[in-house]
Amino acid sequence: MFLTAEFADAQSVARAIAALRAQGFNGDQMDVFSTEPVEISDGLLHRRSHMSLAAVASAAIFCLSALLFVRYAEYNYPLITGGMPIFSWWANGVIFYEFTMFGSITATFVMFLVESGLFRQRAPVPALVAGRILLRVSCGAGRVAAAMDSLQQAGAANVAELKPW
Amino acid sequence: MVETRGDGLRATLWRPLNGFSGRYLLALTAAFLVGAWGLGCWGYQIVRGIGVAGIRRPTMWGFYLVNFVFWIGISHAGTLISAILRLTDAGWRKPVTRAAEAITVFALSIGAMFPIIHLGRPWIFYWLFPYPNSRLLWPNFRSPLLWDVTAISTYLSGSVIYLYLPLIPDLAELAQHSTGWRLRLYTLLALGWTGSDRQWHAVERAMKLMAGTILAVAVSVHTVVAWDFAMAVAPMWHSTIYGPYFVAGAIFSGIAALVVAMSIIRRALHLEEYLLPVHFENLGKLLLLMSLLWVYFTVAENLTTWYGNSPAEMSVFGERVRGRYAPCFWFMVFCNFVLPFVLLSVKRLRSVATVTISGVTVLVGMWVERFMIVLPSLSRPHLAAAAGFYSPTWVEISITASTFAAMVMFYLIFCKLFPIIAVWEYKHVSHG
Amino acid sequence: MEHRWGMAIDLDRCTGCEACVVACHAENNLPLSDADQAEKGRAFHWIRVDRYYEGEFPDIRVKYMPVLCQQCDEAPCEPVCPVYATYHNAEGLNVQVYNRCVGTRYCGNNCPYSVRFFNWFEPEWPEPLHLQHNPDVAVRPSGVMEKCTFCIQRIQRAKRDAQAENRRVADGEVQPACVQSCPAEAMTFGDLNDPESKVSRLATSGRATRLLEDLGTKPKVFYLQRGK
Repeated sequence: MFLTAEFADAQSVARAIAALRAQGFNGDQMDVFSTEPVEISDGLLHRRSHMSLAAVASAAIFCLSALLFVRYAEYNYPLITGGMPIFSWWANGVIFYEFTMFGSITATFVMFLVESGLFRQRAPVPALVAGRILLRVSCGAGRVAAAMDSLQQAGAANVAELKPW
Repeated sequence: MVETRGDGLRATLWRPLNGFSGRYLLALTAAFLVGAWGLGCWGYQIVRGIGVAGIRRPTMWGFYLVNFVFWIGISHAGTLISAILRLTDAGWRKPVTRAAEAITVFALSIGAMFPIIHLGRPWIFYWLFPYPNSRLLWPNFRSPLLWDVTAISTYLSGSVIYLYLPLIPDLAELAQHSTGWRLRLYTLLALGWTGSDRQWHAVERAMKLMAGTILAVAVSVHTVVAWDFAMAVAPMWHSTIYGPYFVAGAIFSGIAALVVAMSIIRRALHLEEYLLPVHFENLGKLLLLMSLLWVYFTVAENLTTWYGNSPAEMSVFGERVRGRYAPCFWFMVFCNFVLPFVLLSVKRLRSVATVTISGVTVLVGMWVERFMIVLPSLSRPHLAAAAGFYSPTWVEISITASTFAAMVMFYLIFCKLFPIIAVWEYKHVSHG
Repeated sequence: MEHRWGMAIDLDRCTGCEACVVACHAENNLPLSDADQAEKGRAFHWIRVDRYYEGEFPDIRVKYMPVLCQQCDEAPCEPVCPVYATYHNAEGLNVQVYNRCVGTRYCGNNCPYSVRFFNWFEPEWPEPLHLQHNPDVAVRPSGVMEKCTFCIQRIQRAKRDAQAENRRVADGEVQPACVQSCPAEAMTFGDLNDPESKVSRLATSGRATRLLEDLGTKPKVFYLQRGK
């Protein structure tokens, strides 16, 4: 089941998360909801990200693909123009560069969709309140009381069970 | 309908989304009519032949290429504000980012039309794209025009994503407060955004990555556009300075466009509290800096040409500075340097009004500068006997005017659909 | 061995009569322009005679220079076409493929000799000139670039005849329309790969120069003149 708690600022949310962690909850069971990005200090809610790596890898793949394709296309029907070589690194350099950038852009967008979990949501979500930060905790039936206790000690208002729609 | 209550940030930014004022409808209708007229002119040009434009031998490129370079240049507004200022963590850019990115997307879309408009046979423009065909033919990747196609496609896709990503949180919030078709539209576009920290981290990481990538792409895009000219052997086109010159000019005209757009939005949407004089002050200083950079490049280009005294180039140079195009040239220098320098370097003269005036003059001056890049070199080719002079026809002038109208129209529609200041970004202060 | 077509034009013989211009119009289905369009710079002359004047009347000296596509070996017009509508064939000709041209006109801008012409409208011929077309040459549609082809249709015909008779094309067998019509016999056309051909001998004579040679385009039209 899901508990939801409302906080006024980032420090109290951080306190709550630290307390819950001490009780054995891990990062995957906790989610913070807000109308603005919130900085939770000390990496308490560290989310692993592969976005940079994916962007670099994708850029390299797109660059290589562009290279292979241009090479194939220019040798497939070789036409001499202005005495230039059929396949020229410099003359095609811009194409390779742009495809590299395009790969990075594509990967960034795809990884955004993946890492934001936009399409994977199945758990109920609390309604956002402007200016307030909400914490949702997923806990088993036996630990509800302990969790609610920690939340209230950290300064939460409106600690309640989150009903699915 | 979007429900707005009270006087806060959200209310001020969301109120313009509701209803249509008389001025808005008038502006939209006027822009639409001029845009439609331009579209009609293009249709006439396709049917009758591109000869209805003023282009001729030897000036085979005219207004359409001028507009192409100009609009791609304007698109660097977003690059500067969003990417450069984001990377340098300049907090004052916050209210300005979405307006700048919107300019980028629309200017790019308009600019990207011109390689099609200026074709002799535009119905087969798709031959510039590599696709498998029964003729076993591929486009020529060695041509700077193909570099253009690739660069602009990349930049356009990047800019659209760069505009869309930070829009998502605002859309989700709008959806909560909307009814009717707006509710459906915002819900669809918000992709189910819930405001969880994972989503915030993802969007912020993506924006940081995109900022660097978009900057790299934007520099390359206008360099590639410059190389359309620099790779040619035409006198005074074949110059190594063109790449940096065009990028600097693009950022210059981009800031000018942004200043003008901001000034209008500030008045029309009553955003005086959020678009403060300090924003115009800072943009004015940037505009001054770019003006100095522009005049530096211009002096460098013209001085080296004059000193080098190569006959073919001197013929073009003479035409630009003393001959037929001299009025344009000196008008351009006045608009791009003299007036902005006076208005922006004197602290007492710097105000919202003077920065806006400078922006307008720079826009005019930069359009004339693009004209001065394209035409004189073509008018006086290597073989003097082939010289000839260009004059635009009503078709070209109409299409040019319609691009400005199209820009206004797209922007008006954008302002009616989405808040022009990013609400979540405005309140958020990044740490360190 | 492959042919390598080249031309030599003797400027000391050229009288500026422009018979070559007229012959080219007739042979290659060149569209006609009216006075209005010609004034706007839309006239087509695949070969044109440029006049350079020196001095003041009555001590004027005129130099006539027929300028046509130089079929450059390193043509600046070729790499800039985005669709390969112009490329270099094995016989050294700069080939313009009308069907492929989308009309970006980059090649026209990049030609330092300004020898490329564009079809701004659908071509028209006033009657009865529309009956005078050469069936061996395509009529170009609106939006397509064109230029001198060294009368490639005549080259093809000569090559076909020679192949049918199992021999090489003889020197002087191929004559483009301009070369054929010159009354002063100022123009010579032939195979530059054949050292015995007339054009090769003229090209290597002391009087041979090329136009805008310092641009590195390696043109194949040699202009013969004694001194300047």
